[in-house]
Amino acid sequence: MAAPLRIRRQLPLSPWLFAAPGLLITGAFVLYPFVSTLVNSFTDRRTLVPGRFVGLANFRELLHDDMFWTGLRNSFLYVLGVVPALVVLPLLLALLVHKNIPGITFFRSAFYTPVVASIVVVGLIWVWLLDERGLINALLEAIGIGRIGFLSDQWLLLLSAMAVTVWKGLGYYMIIYLAALANVPRELHEAAAVDGAGPVRRFLSVTVPAVRSTMVLVAALSSVAAFKVFSEVYLMAGPSGGPAGEDTTLVMLVQRTGTGLTGRVGYASALSVVVFVVTVALMLLVLRADRKEES
Amino acid sequence: MPISRRSLAAAALALVLPLSACGSGGDDGGPTDASGKVEGDITFQTWNLRANFKPYFEDLIADFEHTYPGTHVKWIDQPAEGYPDKLSADAAGGTLPDVVNVSPDLVAPLARAGLALDLDKAAGTYRSEYLPGAWASHRIPGMKGTYAFPWYLNTGPLFYNKALFEKAGLDPEQPPKTYDDLFSDALRMAEKSDGKVATLANVPTIEDFGRYGVPLMNRQGTAFTFNSAKGVELLTRYKELYDAKALDPQALTATPESAGKKFLTGAVAMNPGSALDLGNFKKNAPSLYRNIGITDQITSTGHVNMYVMGVMVNSRTRHTPAAVAFAHFVTDARHQMSFAKKVAIFPSTAGSLDDPYFTKEDGTDETRVRVAAAKSLKNAVNYTPVLFSDQMKTALRNEVAKALQGRQSPEEALDNAVNAADRLLRQG
Amino acid sequence: MSVLEKVRPERPATEARERRVTDEHGRRIRAGELAWRYLLLLAVLALTIGPFLWQLSTSLKGPTEDIYSSPPRFLPEHPTLHNYARVADTIPVWDYALNSLKVATANVVTNCVGSALAGYALARLRYRGRGAATLVFVLAMLVPVEGIIIAQFTTMRELGLNNTLIGVVLPGAVGALNVLLMRNAFRNLPYEIEEAAYVDGANVWQRFWRIGLPSVKGTLAVVAIFAFMGAWDDFLWPLIVLSDPSKFTLTIGLNYLHGTFANDERLVAAGTVIAVAPLIALFACLQRYFFRGVGEGAVKG
Repeated sequence: MAAPLRIRRQLPLSPWLFAAPGLLITGAFVLYPFVSTLVNSFTDRRTLVPGRFVGLANFRELLHDDMFWTGLRNSFLYVLGVVPALVVLPLLLALLVHKNIPGITFFRSAFYTPVVASIVVVGLIWVWLLDERGLINALLEAIGIGRIGFLSDQWLLLLSAMAVTVWKGLGYYMIIYLAALANVPRELHEAAAVDGAGPVRRFLSVTVPAVRSTMVLVAALSSVAAFKVFSEVYLMAGPSGGPAGEDTTLVMLVQRTGTGLTGRVGYASALSVVVFVVTVALMLLVLRADRKEES
Repeated sequence: MPISRRSLAAAALALVLPLSACGSGGDDGGPTDASGKVEGDITFQTWNLRANFKPYFEDLIADFEHTYPGTHVKWIDQPAEGYPDKLSADAAGGTLPDVVNVSPDLVAPLARAGLALDLDKAAGTYRSEYLPGAWASHRIPGMKGTYAFPWYLNTGPLFYNKALFEKAGLDPEQPPKTYDDLFSDALRMAEKSDGKVATLANVPTIEDFGRYGVPLMNRQGTAFTFNSAKGVELLTRYKELYDAKALDPQALTATPESAGKKFLTGAVAMNPGSALDLGNFKKNAPSLYRNIGITDQITSTGHVNMYVMGVMVNSRTRHTPAAVAFAHFVTDARHQMSFAKKVAIFPSTAGSLDDPYFTKEDGTDETRVRVAAAKSLKNAVNYTPVLFSDQMKTALRNEVAKALQGRQSPEEALDNAVNAADRLLRQG
Repeated sequence: MSVLEKVRPERPATEARERRVTDEHGRRIRAGELAWRYLLLLAVLALTIGPFLWQLSTSLKGPTEDIYSSPPRFLPEHPTLHNYARVADTIPVWDYALNSLKVATANVVTNCVGSALAGYALARLRYRGRGAATLVFVLAMLVPVEGIIIAQFTTMRELGLNNTLIGVVLPGAVGALNVLLMRNAFRNLPYEIEEAAYVDGANVWQRFWRIGLPSVKGTLAVVAIFAFMGAWDDFLWPLIVLSDPSKFTLTIGLNYLHGTFANDERLVAAGTVIAVAPLIALFACLQRYFFRGVGEGAVKG
């Protein structure tokens, strides 16, 4: 990584001025509320009832809450299912649209469309497509596979939600990769081509190393997003989280227990804290794996 | 990073102080006495009514402002989704409007937090204007008082698909009238259609237990009782239906909306609905509309289920007389009647259901459904206990699903659900 | 552009009788490769925009058509714009769209300015506490938003900004993710140019404005698009903050369509098309700059 700029005699104030708007907004509307979440996690506060300090009672309750373990399992499964796909597929897609062939700008924009649409719209569309009598099942039946209950089976539901996440994320990460690909010095490729390396080898030995830091970034971003997944599963499996709540993710559980007029704010805050701690751990894990590989 | 840790700790400390100070707000804002002069600016919030009834409410408000010079009503309307979240944010932030459209389960937590005005005290004189059952639906077990004016009621028949009945060899003119009929017809339908056509699309909810005659709560309102033998019996029968695919395999994940769609596409043979749905069938599924059968809700108690909407008054309003007067104005017999003529809902005011509009048939399906519903409303019950929160509904739903999947017995499922609900009730 | 372009998943089978065409850079592309590329592009295209076309088709179906028919009909038998007219009759679409536009535009401006400044500070300037400042943004990105929304509302009310469009914009005004994206972009720039400018006597602001910023236009365009989409699509936060229907954004307004008394799939479909179409149109207009920006930022790096 690049060395810090060797320029020292600048006003010590200016960096803080530069960072001030960002820090202020983030502090006031993300960190401040989160600290109050932290405080609430040690109380039995409810939406309309001020809480009392209960120590670690909420966290102890978590350990005995089956739904918590279900949520933890599903959120982890989501990371495992979605992250590899979102690291690799958008890169391949970026390679596909990287080259300036006629009409390519149309394709690039079209591939970005799912990112543009709000998740609620996307949810509505896919629920209708995957319905037992929806378009996809009609097509499956036509080619002789038969109808599949995508939206009624616990595991198929989770898989369908993952598919939607990947579908919607493709264009987003494609853009990030496109920006990175444009940074790949062409000399590297030319050298490799002269050496007679085939496309697959060039991909693995030139492209991948060149966009490696971007892949790590994508892995980190997508694993954090995947662990905190809410909308996709909520929209497809319903507010109660699929059959018997088996598709509930951790953030869905936060939403379900903590919101509404009867929300258990204290308990939901404890859940939020767990989500936060796990995402921090995930992030560190990705970055550490990166560093290890680098050395 | 020593700096950041120190500053974080400092920030945390600074935060705890204001936090513990707020939250425990004082009890009373404005006066609870509604007898003063009706004047001032008030805000009236409805729940998803603007899109279709804008002129009605604008007229209503103009009428009120004309009747009580010196008042000004600001009308705001919220969309269907996220209403409880919106109310909680407003309630927690102290920005609740003066007059709010609520349902009984939303009133309960607001009343417990002291945010809803007790109308027995503030507006007891109006009580006799409403159907006793409707007035009582905004009472909260364990509390004295009534916390919202009853507004519109709704109930409806059971729709069924005559074509599907005929295909299964069932008499399309003889729909099931009792639970026994319903369950045997459903099993037959599943058998004849090779599991392709289910009769029911929804897992049993708390209101289904109520309609089946299961006592839901003890008399004091301190504990739930739907895990009684009768409750277990209902769930056991649903399990039979589920195994036979007479209860739709997707029922475990169904919503009222998706169940409605299933009925529209002919995947499900029966669906509860209201007069509103007839128009929907006509528009969205003309082929179904030609085969639509209409029958009464099935109950073991003789009382059909009804839904109640209410209008509550914020106890912290600065203009109690105006807010109470307006809430009453919205829900009085004259305005409920004219609202009922705009859309298929029913007034909760005494005597209104005897209006010829609700008693005279003219041969159309719409009128037939309306007349039948109005008749059944006179002794209808809102089965869902007001204290049954969303979290409790989810708990019940998930335990029921596990029982249907065979992962636990119906007894275990209902015991677990009752335990979870009782625990939540105690915490509330 | 470079040899990289020849990287492709598979080598075309038609290599033997290759007919040579050239792309706009005058380099030769084999016809077989081209065919493969277009085939793949079309396959992905069907996957990404097919679902939207299905929704569009539903929205154009007339009131007499059975939209639940099985098997489904791909094209409307009697295409009509009636459903769109009904949406416009039911809700003040234009007012809501204007509000959304205001919020989204403000969000773009604040995010571009705020995250470029902060990103530059994090990437290029040296000072005590830089690590801590970076950490603030990383942590902020990890906070689960669903758990803090009421606390955000309470803060907003204390500031007296509830029920204002400013209140809608403020919490997302400088997204932590955007700051980190900008930081990465600035970090990837070579130091030499800036050092030269420094030697020439340029101050921090001048180096940021004249050298840093022009080199990261691509990332800035990405941030702008993300910010616009984010603001345009958000539902829960605007709903919580706003009370006055005249200030509602389009996403909230469209939610009136699947309400208690109106349950018409065609209307809902028309609503979703209305929600998505402006974004697609906007993106289609700006994509040239967007992708050029993405490329430009890179050419200099």
